[in-house]
Amino acid sequence: MLTLLEQVDKGTLWRSHGGIHPPELKTLSSKTTIANFPLASHFIIPIPQVGDSALLRIKKGERVVKGQALTAGTSFAHCAVHAPTSGTITAIEQLPSNHASGLPVLSCVLTADGQDESIETITSDLSTLDNQQILKLIQNAGIAGLGGAAFPTHIKLSPVSDIELVIINGIECEPYITSDDRLMQEYSDEIISGIAIIERLLTPKRIIIAIEDNKPEAIEAMQHSLNRSELSSDNVRITKVPTKYPSGGEKQLIQILTGQEVPSGAIPAQLGMLVQNVATAYAIQDAVINGQPLISRVVTVTGLNCETPGNYWLPIGTQVQHILQTSGFKGDLSQDKIIIGGPMMGHSLPDVTAPVLKGTNCILLPSTEEIAPDQQEMPCIRCGECAVVCPALLLPQQLFWHAQAEEYDKAASFNLHDCIECGCCSYVCPSDIPLVEYYRVAKSALRTQSEEKKQADLAKQRFDARQQRLEDEKLARETKAREAAARRKNSMASADKNVVAEAMARMKAKKAAQSNTADSVAPAPVQDKKAQIAAAIARAKAKKASATTATDHPVGSDDVEVDPIDDKKAKINAAIARAKAKKAQQNNPSAKTSAPDVQVNAVDEKKAKVAAAIARAKAKKQLQADGDKTQEKVLVDNDTALATNTVPNTNKESTETTLAADTKKARIAAAVAKAKAKKQSLTSDDTEATNPNAVANDSSTDPAAESALSPAEIKKARIAAAVAKAKAKKAQAKLEEKE
Amino acid sequence: MSGIVIAVVVLTILALIFGILLGFAAEKFKVEGDPLAEQVEALLPQTQCGQCGYPGCKPYAEAIANGDKINKCPPGGTATMEKIADLVGVDPEPLNATEEIQEKKVAYIREDECIGCTKCIQACPVDAILGSGKLMHTVITDYCTGCDLCVAPCPVDCIDMLPIEQTTKTWNWQLNAIPVKQVQEDPQC
Amino acid sequence: MAFKLASSPHLKVQLQTQSVMRRVILCALPGIAAQYYFFGWGVLIQVLLAIAVALLSESIVLKLRKRPIKPTISDNSAVLTALLIGVSLPSIAPWWIVVIGTLFAIVIVKHLYGGLGQNIFNPAMAAYVMLLISFPVQMTSWSVPLSLAQTPMDLGLTLQAIFGAMTPEQLNIYKLGFDGIAMATPLDTVKTDLSLGLTITESLSKSIFSDGYGVGWFWVNVAYLLGGIAMLKLKVIRWQISVGVIAAIFVCSSFDYLLSPDTHIGPLLQLFSGATMLAAFFIATDPVTAATSVRGRLIFGALIGVLVYVIRTYGGYPDAFAFAVLLANLCAPFIDYYVKPRSYGHRSGN
Repeated sequence: MLTLLEQVDKGTLWRSHGGIHPPELKTLSSKTTIANFPLASHFIIPIPQVGDSALLRIKKGERVVKGQALTAGTSFAHCAVHAPTSGTITAIEQLPSNHASGLPVLSCVLTADGQDESIETITSDLSTLDNQQILKLIQNAGIAGLGGAAFPTHIKLSPVSDIELVIINGIECEPYITSDDRLMQEYSDEIISGIAIIERLLTPKRIIIAIEDNKPEAIEAMQHSLNRSELSSDNVRITKVPTKYPSGGEKQLIQILTGQEVPSGAIPAQLGMLVQNVATAYAIQDAVINGQPLISRVVTVTGLNCETPGNYWLPIGTQVQHILQTSGFKGDLSQDKIIIGGPMMGHSLPDVTAPVLKGTNCILLPSTEEIAPDQQEMPCIRCGECAVVCPALLLPQQLFWHAQAEEYDKAASFNLHDCIECGCCSYVCPSDIPLVEYYRVAKSALRTQSEEKKQADLAKQRFDARQQRLEDEKLARETKAREAAARRKNSMASADKNVVAEAMARMKAKKAAQSNTADSVAPAPVQDKKAQIAAAIARAKAKKASATTATDHPVGSDDVEVDPIDDKKAKINAAIARAKAKKAQQNNPSAKTSAPDVQVNAVDEKKAKVAAAIARAKAKKQLQADGDKTQEKVLVDNDTALATNTVPNTNKESTETTLAADTKKARIAAAVAKAKAKKQSLTSDDTEATNPNAVANDSSTDPAAESALSPAEIKKARIAAAVAKAKAKKAQAKLEEKE
Repeated sequence: MSGIVIAVVVLTILALIFGILLGFAAEKFKVEGDPLAEQVEALLPQTQCGQCGYPGCKPYAEAIANGDKINKCPPGGTATMEKIADLVGVDPEPLNATEEIQEKKVAYIREDECIGCTKCIQACPVDAILGSGKLMHTVITDYCTGCDLCVAPCPVDCIDMLPIEQTTKTWNWQLNAIPVKQVQEDPQC
Repeated sequence: MAFKLASSPHLKVQLQTQSVMRRVILCALPGIAAQYYFFGWGVLIQVLLAIAVALLSESIVLKLRKRPIKPTISDNSAVLTALLIGVSLPSIAPWWIVVIGTLFAIVIVKHLYGGLGQNIFNPAMAAYVMLLISFPVQMTSWSVPLSLAQTPMDLGLTLQAIFGAMTPEQLNIYKLGFDGIAMATPLDTVKTDLSLGLTITESLSKSIFSDGYGVGWFWVNVAYLLGGIAMLKLKVIRWQISVGVIAAIFVCSSFDYLLSPDTHIGPLLQLFSGATMLAAFFIATDPVTAATSVRGRLIFGALIGVLVYVIRTYGGYPDAFAFAVLLANLCAPFIDYYVKPRSYGHRSGN
């Protein structure tokens, strides 16, 4: 029994399950050398990590030069992005992304100045660097996996466990794409020195450079470079892999080269293996030795709709539409797809303004003859071809069955998560079922479900914590109350009751005085703010109330108002009018208003309005509460010192002692109370005719109280009363109307 | 006569044996607690919104286990109701609330309008609102369950329920839902 | 301007259901030709009649179900079903047998279950079983191979027989061999003889076995076998089910034959008589009603083979493919459930 490494040295290959042999069509683009592309005038550089784990280093309008980092982050996962050329940042906004969804992501728009001025690049001598410095260089250069997944390379190169085997992936099994092929042919020395850096960082026992046997030139070039390099040929070998799609998939490649399977849900590092793309190796070399950040990459631009197919060095951030123009796009955007990536796994692009990203290895511009026409989905005939070609050994048709029925749990039980979305199943399906699309939908639904589950668990946890806290607080309060009661009992037993009564009276007087002074001292701005708040409250209430009125929510109880809705409406109208009036007064005196109350307000002071609004709000609250008891409570709450004697009608059972100190506030409140009383009588009285009388009575019982006031205050109170009256009348009118 | 006796004896013995077996099984495989309520609770969305009439999801789950209707959870929607129906073994019933809330929403406070009254903080069942008296409040959107309970108490009506925006990470592959983009021939971006 | 958006992959093989079905039909032609050669016009008339009824009834059902007619009709699946019904009926069965059978297959077994891909039973076999149970007399009146017939039937006579222009007495004449004895299929003959206490050797000496396998039946089976091999070559079917069926019949019959050659017919006779090859390659391989995984299909095929052998040997029917296939159809979901292949990166079975 040979050990794995011995077998690797022998070049043993294993079989991966399934796979297909689609037409390769690589010669379209593989014959010409990698060319440079004319610089675009605009670049769009998505900055996905900003806000998450990174900060933006530049501001709108700032000038940047080529290679300047645009983001900075302290976290280990941060992967920097750089300006691809010199120019000005003209916008930082949400722009369509190079993603199958085309959803906008935060991006910088760089308007190039054409000078292509670069930052100073610091070339380093590898021997003087330690591993941490190399990793830092890689991170700062923003290198991410160039094979398509764009996973930050520095994370991959700092594994927690030992890596025994590094696989350099030069498979490129997708049809059409030749970017790695050309790169290996033209830059094999650089790739090999990149591999040497990886070798130094990870010190694996073996490195395999895997290349498909349909790229003989690349294999030859790499072999020559390898022979020239310092790398020991005992440790590094180039392995030819038979052409089959998808052998370039990480898991499949590991299976082919080592016969081992990456456990579901695990990463290759757990097997002591690591897979890097050849283009990434090149970028590592460029970053570490030349100090060049990752700002451009080789992209295959190909397809029959392209006049000049080939491979190009494209700055990352180049818009696809620029590429279309420069490469002579022959197609019709309304007819033809633009595919980012290969035809098997790439996504069609919803918006050509999207940029080239680090993981963009191909822009495929196929004519309608080249790609599968849109065909109607036919019923599955369970032919099982999909299971035969599935490289992950899944049962695609069972998955489809459940995904179609939206039984995502069941789909998950058939290992949906192990699907690599390679597209083999859709490729062979005789019924033209877009299987992969079903799986993607199912996967995203499952992801949403698990997110929701997590959210629900969190919510439950927080809810329970809150319940516990409230419970604790309640207990604490009760204990405190008990203690206080005990203390009082003690003092009651020992001290004279009169003393207590006196103390209580003193306390009340003090309170009243306090509120007095507070009110009178309160400066104008505070009042102003209060007024605003009151107005806002009134507005909000009105809105809410109208909402409830609109739904015609019945209020059913024995001693409810005859017609609460109408009453409420009246109040709401008044409140709205008031708010409007205020606004009008503040901003535009000529604003049109119609309600009678408004006239009153228009000539009145702000304060009065505030009071009225508060009163109104309170009144409404009371009515909503529908009960004498609540009224009492509210009133008492409002101001204990408030002369309850002025509202005998409302508080029939009131036994509070009257306080002599009569304040402004008290008076306003009195007015309010009057209004309320009125309303109540209005609403609770069966005989409508008595209502005006009642109002009259109410207002006439007050002169005693009013006589002690200044004329201005009397005025205010009167206004409030008038407003209340007006409302009452309105309500009555409505009532009559209704009846 | 003896036949009858034998039958009676045999049946009695059998009854005894099975009785003992059943009793033993009941002891041996005893299930602690009320798993049904817990299972139901696991299905509920945990918004703690109280729209079912119970103070939180757990009490409602217990109520369902005790035979309450299963259609009182609007945030869970029909899907949750069907799952519960499946679990409890009753027929699915249409939701008793109008089912227009399918989009998941979270609360946002318009912060310049907030007066700092703390009423929403008290209303929030999951403590997802941060703030203090007379100071501006804000919603920790990651914790917000979208239960709506904070909207009503706000005296200045400055809380909005906004749908959660879709990102490329949460996109659900609805290709047909991508709006058709009008592309200008203008070379500028 | 609207972009075309689609999920990857953007490439596809251009082998669609329609052409899969067409290839199956083409591969069945040698077998039908052989049947025609040995048994006369009957089989062609039955097949054409069945196809006509199938297309008509499917159109009507699709119309009623408010489904697009053209794409479904043109997938050729109804034609294939009809063809299988046509070749499995006795060639001189009256016309209404094939009409009822085809209607049952298309309307009830296929479309009432939801159309192509949704049916749990093989439509042709379900129809066959229904006919066999409902009309046992007509369904067992096999005509004599032409070379053995007392009076061979030509096209006119066959048409008369099928469309009811012949009295039963007249019809019976054509069921007689040249030795004046009414003949059944080889398997039927053996079964009857065995129940009469004859040995296999005695039974095989009858005229129908004049070429050792039952006149005509051997070559019909060979023709279907060739068609089946062609399908394997064209990758229209996979080998598992057919091999499972054949291997199971072979193993079972060899076992019994070695134990008691007097009361059991040999494995080769089992394989090359009756509907063995037709069923193994054309009927059991219907993907819709079979198991899906590789191992599952082997099991599925073997199950059919064992059932066929058991029913042929111990059951009341001389041939039993229809029953065996239906029973295996019933088991297919369970087979699929328990024979899940191990997915990549998983240890076993889950």
